[in-house]
Amino acid sequence: MYPHERSLVEEMKDKPFALIGVNSDKDVARARKAVADNQLNWRSFHAGPQGAGGPIPKAWAIKGWPTIVVLDGERKIHYRGHDGEEATKIATELVARMTAGK
Amino acid sequence: MPRLSSWVPWLIATTLAAQQAPDSKPATPASAAARLEALQAERTRIMESFIAAAKEAEAKAKEAKSAGKPAPAMPTPPDWSPLIATAKAAAADYAGTDDAVMFLLFVLQMGAKQEEVVEALDTLTDKHLANKAVVDLGRMIPYLTSLVPADKAKVFIERLAKIPDANVRGWVALAQHQPTIEKADREGEAYQTAKTELLKAAELVTDAGLKGEIRSVIDTRETFGIGNVAPDIEGQDLDGVAFKLSDYKGKVVFLDFWGDW
Repeated sequence: MYPHERSLVEEMKDKPFALIGVNSDKDVARARKAVADNQLNWRSFHAGPQGAGGPIPKAWAIKGWPTIVVLDGERKIHYRGHDGEEATKIATELVARMTAGK
Repeated sequence: MPRLSSWVPWLIATTLAAQQAPDSKPATPASAAARLEALQAERTRIMESFIAAAKEAEAKAKEAKSAGKPAPAMPTPPDWSPLIATAKAAAADYAGTDDAVMFLLFVLQMGAKQEEVVEALDTLTDKHLANKAVVDLGRMIPYLTSLVPADKAKVFIERLAKIPDANVRGWVALAQHQPTIEKADREGEAYQTAKTELLKAAELVTDAGLKGEIRSVIDTRETFGIGNVAPDIEGQDLDGVAFKLSDYKGKVVFLDFWGDW
């Protein structure tokens, strides 16, 4: 998943798009290492020391990892699930629609 | 999708409970219990020796890697079929009695072939619905479709639905209505019916985890379904700097719940 996301961020860098992570590793050092080792080019919230059981995954009722939620500019949900390809498609279409409307 | 592995520890616990349950009065108590104990001891022995072999192979692979040599082969996972066959034979010996139940559960938890799982579940749900351990099989309902063919799963769920137990009814309701809650049009009649049925079942359920699970299926759809406005997130990034999801207003956000595990 990392290389795919990295190139998505790269492709969309001048567009109204952001890839935001919610990292659910208990140990933030491990998450930082993953960012460094894999050259991850997006910003992540840290879910806290409870990791997957932390407040953000809990509030969002996340039951499986990874879960992707695609939101438009008004934070309206357009996709929620585990299919990275489908999520990418939906996000790309949303961005295309937004930029076409301008 | 729930993970298959999540019910395995429970199943092991159930088998132990069945073994110790005071209400299971077998015709020859010592021998059935002893046979089960022998099976479990054998399983532990095989598992431990496999883990030891795997650890040794891993150490050797590391050595080989640092020496620039090709890694040696990892040990093949244990073949459980003789143990499963022994358990099936014991289940046949005690057919129709409560003692058969623990051997059938043993077959289930050993990751037997699908037809063996079907056979064990068929006997359990056909002949042993009154057994406490079979009532607990209710927890397996959400995973049934990933274990056995859909038509068999349907039959087993219908049989389990006959158990006069609120929690089993809850698991059955969840299995039957969850797909509708997740996919049907929220304004439609099917959705409303499924929701009413689920809330009714949740009301009667005594298992707190199940009650929460049923409610969360509905809440998840109603809070995080397509078209809903997601809540904001206020938190800290990996360097401890505070930021908010709403900082990205006006942008399409690909929000990825990830972990490096």
